Amino acid sequence: MTETAEPFAHLQVASAFSAHYGASWPAELVAAAAADGQRLLACTDRDGLYGMAKHVSACRQHGIAPIVGVDLAVTWADLPPGERPGTQEPGADAGRVVILARGGCGGSGYAALCRVVSAAHARTTGGAGGGAPVITVAELAAAAAGPVPTAADPKNPPTPELFVLVGPDSDVGRHLARRRWNAGLQALRRWKAALPARSLHVNAVSHLSAPGRRCDTGHAVKMVRAAAQVRVPAVLTNAVRYAAPDGAATADVLDAVRALSALDGAHDLQPNGQGWLKPTAAMRRIAAEVADAADIRPAALLAATQALAEACAVDPAEDLGWGRPRVPEAAVVGIEGDPARVLRERTLAGVADRYPDLFTGTAFAATAAGRELEERVEHELGIISRLGFSGYFLTVAEVVRMIEGRGVRVAARGSGASSLVNHALRISHVDPMAQGLLMERFLSDDRSTLPDIDIDVESARRHEVYRALFERFGQQRTTLMSMQNAYRARGAVRDAGLALGMPDPEVDAVAKQLWRFSASHFRDALERMPELRGFAERLESGRREGSRQLDLLVDLTERLDRLPRHISMHPCGVILGDASLLKRTPVQPSGLGLPMSQFDKHDMDPMGMLKLDVLGVRMQSAIAYALQEVARTTGEQVDLEQVPLDDPATYEMIRTTHTLGCFQIESPGQRELIGKLAPERFEDLIVDISLFRPGPMQSDMVRPFLEQRHGWAPAHYPHPDLVPVLAETHGVTVFHEQVLRTFDVMTGCGLAKADELRRLIGSDAETRVEEFFRSRALSRGYSLDVIDEVWATLHAFGSFGFCKAHGAAFAVPTYHSAWLKTHHPEAFMAAILEHDPGMYPARLMIAEARRMGIPVLPVDVNRSSDHVRVEWVPDHPELGLPPRDGGHGGTPETLFPTTAPASAGGPAGGGEAAVVGEPPVPGPSAQEASAQGASAQGASGQGASAQGASRGPGRWGIRLPMSALSGLSEAEVRRLVDGRPYMSLADVRDRARPTARNLERLAQLGALDCLLPPGGASRTDLVHHLEMQHSAGYGSGPGRLATTSRKARPRQVDGQLSLDLPDVELQSLTPMFPSPRNADRVRTELDLTALDVTAHLMDSHAPYLEALGVTKAERLLSLRSQSRVLVAGVRVATQTPPMRSGRRVVFVSVDDGTGCVDTSFFTEAQHASGEMLFSSRLLLIEGTVRRTGAKAVSVQAVRAWDLHRPETLPDPDYLDSTRDAWARWLRADREAARRRAAERDGVLVGARAHPGRLPEVPHHATGHWPVKADVGRVARDLDVALAGARAGGELPWPVRRSDDRAVPVPHPDTWELLPTPDG
Amino acid sequence: MGIFTQSVAVECAQDGTPHRLRWNGRDYALAERPVRWYERRRWWAEEHRAEKGRGAGLVDHEIWRLQVRLARAGNAPLQTVDVAHHLDSGRWRLIRIHGGVCLPLVATA
Repeated sequence: MTETAEPFAHLQVASAFSAHYGASWPAELVAAAAADGQRLLACTDRDGLYGMAKHVSACRQHGIAPIVGVDLAVTWADLPPGERPGTQEPGADAGRVVILARGGCGGSGYAALCRVVSAAHARTTGGAGGGAPVITVAELAAAAAGPVPTAADPKNPPTPELFVLVGPDSDVGRHLARRRWNAGLQALRRWKAALPARSLHVNAVSHLSAPGRRCDTGHAVKMVRAAAQVRVPAVLTNAVRYAAPDGAATADVLDAVRALSALDGAHDLQPNGQGWLKPTAAMRRIAAEVADAADIRPAALLAATQALAEACAVDPAEDLGWGRPRVPEAAVVGIEGDPARVLRERTLAGVADRYPDLFTGTAFAATAAGRELEERVEHELGIISRLGFSGYFLTVAEVVRMIEGRGVRVAARGSGASSLVNHALRISHVDPMAQGLLMERFLSDDRSTLPDIDIDVESARRHEVYRALFERFGQQRTTLMSMQNAYRARGAVRDAGLALGMPDPEVDAVAKQLWRFSASHFRDALERMPELRGFAERLESGRREGSRQLDLLVDLTERLDRLPRHISMHPCGVILGDASLLKRTPVQPSGLGLPMSQFDKHDMDPMGMLKLDVLGVRMQSAIAYALQEVARTTGEQVDLEQVPLDDPATYEMIRTTHTLGCFQIESPGQRELIGKLAPERFEDLIVDISLFRPGPMQSDMVRPFLEQRHGWAPAHYPHPDLVPVLAETHGVTVFHEQVLRTFDVMTGCGLAKADELRRLIGSDAETRVEEFFRSRALSRGYSLDVIDEVWATLHAFGSFGFCKAHGAAFAVPTYHSAWLKTHHPEAFMAAILEHDPGMYPARLMIAEARRMGIPVLPVDVNRSSDHVRVEWVPDHPELGLPPRDGGHGGTPETLFPTTAPASAGGPAGGGEAAVVGEPPVPGPSAQEASAQGASAQGASGQGASAQGASRGPGRWGIRLPMSALSGLSEAEVRRLVDGRPYMSLADVRDRARPTARNLERLAQLGALDCLLPPGGASRTDLVHHLEMQHSAGYGSGPGRLATTSRKARPRQVDGQLSLDLPDVELQSLTPMFPSPRNADRVRTELDLTALDVTAHLMDSHAPYLEALGVTKAERLLSLRSQSRVLVAGVRVATQTPPMRSGRRVVFVSVDDGTGCVDTSFFTEAQHASGEMLFSSRLLLIEGTVRRTGAKAVSVQAVRAWDLHRPETLPDPDYLDSTRDAWARWLRADREAARRRAAERDGVLVGARAHPGRLPEVPHHATGHWPVKADVGRVARDLDVALAGARAGGELPWPVRRSDDRAVPVPHPDTWELLPTPDG
Repeated sequence: MGIFTQSVAVECAQDGTPHRLRWNGRDYALAERPVRWYERRRWWAEEHRAEKGRGAGLVDHEIWRLQVRLARAGNAPLQTVDVAHHLDSGRWRLIRIHGGVCLPLVATA
């Protein structure tokens, strides 16, 4: 019989993208089917088409015809679209069925499938707890209804668009499993009546479980018999959840985790481990067993299965639109006529705008530059129109136009900056002509996929932009992209522990140690990492006692690793399509409320989807905010586009390496590189950003580059022909663009082909590239030596160097942020505090502002708004001289007399101080003046010009916002801000209505100091007063001084009128206590706002540190290299970047109030410092000074102490008393360095074991160099992760990095691994 | 019905179906078509390891219910026994002997 000769076709297969259900990746399943010679394979993930595109991809690779479907919950209830099933009426639950799309029908079956899935998800809301997707039978039937014979096409067979497989999990299957034969039959008849003809199939599954258990053969037999009785075809599937038997244990764990229970208590476990993708022979045997018992021919069962599979075989191109990009219709984008013509018109208009000297709008200048520009325009337009991408470019241009139109900062990043057309259309702001960027790096005739154009927008307005995009292009053409959130080490170990029923604390303890490892290498890590030593020992002792749990924990963790858990909105992907978009992708609600596609970024190209990366960048928000503050305070409108890129003051600032807060150049490693490189021009910034990547590190570009740049070594060119290519970087290959040109120069292959070759470097096909390069270069007359040298560079460069266009696109915000920091430091630092775009804690930015001499003003109920604001600070004797000692009693309450009452009575300031930010008002009371000032400010900048106009001597400062106080609700902040100005405590209570506790906290923070009567009660008095009222209010027993106070000041009655009078309540407070000392203030500030405003956190340690002889950051540069030094500070960054050697080096940066000290801990220092290296907050570090450039200095640590553990700290005479020991250490260290250098040079190969040498600590993620990674993606993901991490609670998706690998952020030290360079 | 485990030798046809059993030094022949199923194990309590790649036999055992009689005595009484096939080691163990005279089992409907 021919049918049975056919290999089996699995029609129900859940992949790993069925979260918490499937255990194998689509590729594994397809490979298993292909290995067995199967010709058709379905992918039916639960609740969505999450794994479909990957399935189809894999099928195409293996020559298997794909079938697509979904495993979905169905209800008989008659729900309107979008309405959730309430308390389900009895009998409404139809269980789960498999729905397959009809194939070979031009996509109508697939469109119906998308419609069903989207409709099921319309009953959910995004995020956890959003409900489960469910479709009504009526909706399913409507979508399944296919074409019917018509007059025009009478032969059109009635074929449903969807086939519904009613199996063991359906209502029919459940009835039959419970031996309710008649109920089962009735349910099946109901299905048959409800669905269009030929849609319904019965799905018989036998997992060969023990008789009587779920999915035993008997159940399959009953299903087949029922099918025969109701005259519905029966098919056989294996309800597959894993590719091979070894997936069964993983599926068990997933079953337990899904039920949030231990394996031992789980009642929903699969009956056994037979749900794998069985080969044809095994399936035939099951068919025979079932058919035999059901008295039918096995051939009938197999034939029906085969027939259905063939009806569902999908043609990827015809049915899914595979690989064919679809962009919004021309009319929607606003194009009339031929897109290519429109693109040409708009491009030329843009070129005239961008290059007025070279193109008048009708004619190009007759200069060389003019001709070059014209050729470039024609070249790019030619490529774009030949590829048919004109509509795409116009679409992106329209998106950018729309975003700019909303006043949102927008800029292209990445290789899109290579294109002149993009520059002309205002998509990119980098001038590709001036920077020598190559179109071919972005797009060429040889690339047929849509190029990525990534767009950065202000992060704070990102969601607004998304909504605007939906509005502009229409709901049916727009959807967000999603991303898969997979198990990573911590989650995997938690869930594995849950499944094993281990106690939470024990699992937690393991999970906490795991963040630095990939779970799939857990067992490996156990052997290597010192941090896991404790766990490894427990594992060992457990084994001795016969306990197996920890071993199993490790195994199950490794099994779970990387399996998808759920999808969420991608942080930047927006999909734009034509009107057919929702027929090509199912959508579901995102946490944002907007719909998101079930496809992720890997599915975009194959599914023909145009994805725009609209990435929220905090620095763009910060820049926008800084400009806004400049305009508000000075009236000056700064147009950054008009700011020349060669401002000397800006580069001077950058060269000081005081670049905290600046985009891309604030990290410790970058500050050191900046110090060495000493940028003078915009091009230097591009080089700097491009060098700070693994590629350049690996091919040892940085040191030669620096040597040649500073003229220490002559530039070297392998061949004179390459001088024009490499001159800009002194003979060192830094950019992709240079690789392309090198290929082109030496082989004459053309730039488009060169980009193809570049992409192959580092892949398996690299040998072919090498062959091509060598033979062509040889035939063009280059010598073997030249070819060898150039190839070595190209090879080392790998595929992960840096695209200059990318570096240039990054360098623009880098320059802009540095320019703002130089010329508008207050507004810039306020913006940095407001939007927190960088890698450091906010308190470091406060310290940086203080270092820059910018007054940082504390929270004040009358002055603070809900944003960080620039505020005028009138001159005052104490300006810039923070009091070292705590003020007692008579001294001013705040660092700067910004509050009217305090300064009115204060020793200096007088009238000036009373009119902060306002024209002098000869008002009756200082309080009123203050109040007016505050109200002008409250009106959010309307009084801006007035503010600038009449300010007296003084300077700008930064006022912290109300929201800096943690624990204030949004509503409280809003009321506090709206209620300004306040004249009295009663006023605050009455109108802002903070909780009693928060009122106390405001007082503690000094935010109510402005209400204190001059010379009267102090902050401490006020806090005591409020505390007593508070405790009295709660009736919590007698307070310490409660009785007298309570009598003296009856509790305020809610709603008491606040009269426009001096604060009676506070006036009558008896001054009893002095103001808090500075150290106490700082502690309070840190507790309540995590910001030390009054003084630096380290100041309280000053006496000890001074006695010890600790060097301040600002003085480090004045020390000789190699000097012994003690430094101390607050930890601001800890990094363990991958190193060339594979060893772990820990970089710790501390801030001591005068700047950052960057320290490095090598193996010995890591051992000497122990656990505190990662855990302590305040560190004292001993080490040697390393000068690596004019302004580059760091400390190579020897050991460190935790300042919070006084008992461990050295005595003040430490430096003197350990002089001899230091000398000995230095000798030993230099010896070790020499040895290592010799070893590295291969002199001492084999002589590795040195007695007494400490074990090396391998890097946690790599353990070896090089780290191969897609740099662009990693950088992007890092930004995304950082952007996400900053946004905190408002994010609708959980913050995660999209990859387990350590992000390769190398440190310049990677090219100088010597502990102490011999000198 | 007794439950215990004891090593037995089973001879199988090409498709893996048992057709002869050697038990306590005697040969038994199958009298009826055997019934096979896979029975779940509490592997997380019984096993020390469950590493990736560990498949057949970890989560379930293959069980065969055999109705046998002594090969050399055509009229010997039928006996029903359950044997477990350990897929990882290939070994067979007798796990159950059903007492009394057993009726031929049909696939339990």
